[in-house]
Amino acid sequence: MSDIPRMNDIRSEVVRMLIDVVGEDFLLDVEIGPGTTFGDDLGLESIEFVALVDRLRAHYGDRADFPGFIAGLDLDQLVNLTVGDVVDHIAAQERAHA
Amino acid sequence: MKARRLAVPSLLDDPGIRRATTPERRFLFAVPPLAGHINPAAAVAAELGRRGHTVAWTGHRPSIEPLLRSGSRVFSAMEDDFGRRLPAIWNDWLGLRRLAALRFLWEEFVVPLGHAMMPGVEKAIDRFRPDVVVSDQLVLAAPVAARRREIPWATSATTSSEFTRPLADMPKVEAWIRDRMAGFQLDHGIEDLLDLRFSDHLVLVFSTGALIGDISFFPDHFAFVGPALGRCAPGAFPWEWLDGRPAALVSLGTLNGPSGERFFRVAADAVRDLDVQAIFVAPPGVVADPPPNVLVRAQVPQLKLLERLSAVVCHGGHNTVCESLSQGVPLVVAPIRDDQSVIARQVEAAGAGVSVRFSRVRPDEFRTALATVLADGPHRAAAGRVRESFAAAGGAAEAADRLEKLA
Repeated sequence: MSDIPRMNDIRSEVVRMLIDVVGEDFLLDVEIGPGTTFGDDLGLESIEFVALVDRLRAHYGDRADFPGFIAGLDLDQLVNLTVGDVVDHIAAQERAHA
Repeated sequence: MKARRLAVPSLLDDPGIRRATTPERRFLFAVPPLAGHINPAAAVAAELGRRGHTVAWTGHRPSIEPLLRSGSRVFSAMEDDFGRRLPAIWNDWLGLRRLAALRFLWEEFVVPLGHAMMPGVEKAIDRFRPDVVVSDQLVLAAPVAARRREIPWATSATTSSEFTRPLADMPKVEAWIRDRMAGFQLDHGIEDLLDLRFSDHLVLVFSTGALIGDISFFPDHFAFVGPALGRCAPGAFPWEWLDGRPAALVSLGTLNGPSGERFFRVAADAVRDLDVQAIFVAPPGVVADPPPNVLVRAQVPQLKLLERLSAVVCHGGHNTVCESLSQGVPLVVAPIRDDQSVIARQVEAAGAGVSVRFSRVRPDEFRTALATVLADGPHRAAAGRVRESFAAAGGAAEAADRLEKLA
């Protein structure tokens, strides 16, 4: 990985958006890291997931292609989707379009 | 062949012009052990019975019988082992959300239910000899059994979520579900595979385009008949408690564990200072010290109560949503799992309500949402449009007409 600082930036941006969507007070005893799952760990509801994707799209633009990312995942991958998976996807898209 | 008339009937005298009568037919309803899936089918079955047809049921007898009028004929179709596991299945299911719940639904419920029902459904068909099998969307055994015996079968879709292709953005998940159905059919010797959720003879959908959205592309054998409402649940209600202020019902269907309890507490906080009355359908003790404008009841006569309500807050169960809209009552929907977020989106897209979070809803979110739909504005008007569409669709009578044509 040539661009670890950029990865760290993306990770903190994604975590910030997640906290905005869920609410900081609901995450007091959760340490959000790359391995945190949206399902089991955060219990993200459909409304919250939609809100998160809206924020990601607004921030990273259509080039980040979240619909394409989601469409490429199978059921088990979607159930176990982590913050790190999303960060990796954004970083890969940025490299591809750099 | 029709009986011959011996005299020319008078136009206006009794019996006047009659509805064309159809010969008596036999209908077998195959249902899962889920009340929300049985009740609309029971309303259709009751209408068929009124018309002189013979109706029987097949499925998990202890789940079905309490929901039917006494004396209904039920053919047990459930291997003991699966029936015994049901409470544990419900318990595990309640802990799951979103796609984990969907995976569980198919792997641990729908497919095993299909296998567990298969022998009983075949026996029911052989003994009852139905002209038509009516299969709930979640009962895989009935379409397979009907096809093996070359009997026409209809789908009973008690939720309309599948008609908006909710997983269109996750094609691999759609394919995974189709694979479950393919495996089930191959296991039972059917090689000409169908999507067992959609009969190629008749699909009864208990909603209309006013709520679902565009339905113009569905073929004619998809019948959007609107809600099939049954009898109002019995139960006393202190009608004098309603003092004329706008009243809202807060109901989560079957209780959803600790997060359901939190939801009710937030709801109580949210309405405390509003000039409304709220009826919570919840077990006693869930809300300690409810404010004076909140009434907590374990059960309510929901259909009758809806006539007096200005809003309904619910989890997005299809039946409660459609009952509310059939009275033109706008909604706040807090979807929990399964099809509920799809139904919540339908309600929002139709303009007949708004959605809020379930597990993490805050009092101010709740209050804002409720105040929005209570304001006598666009949401009420949209709910009224859905009501008119439902009323025009015909409900149980239209469903019975379509089933008679199939027989």
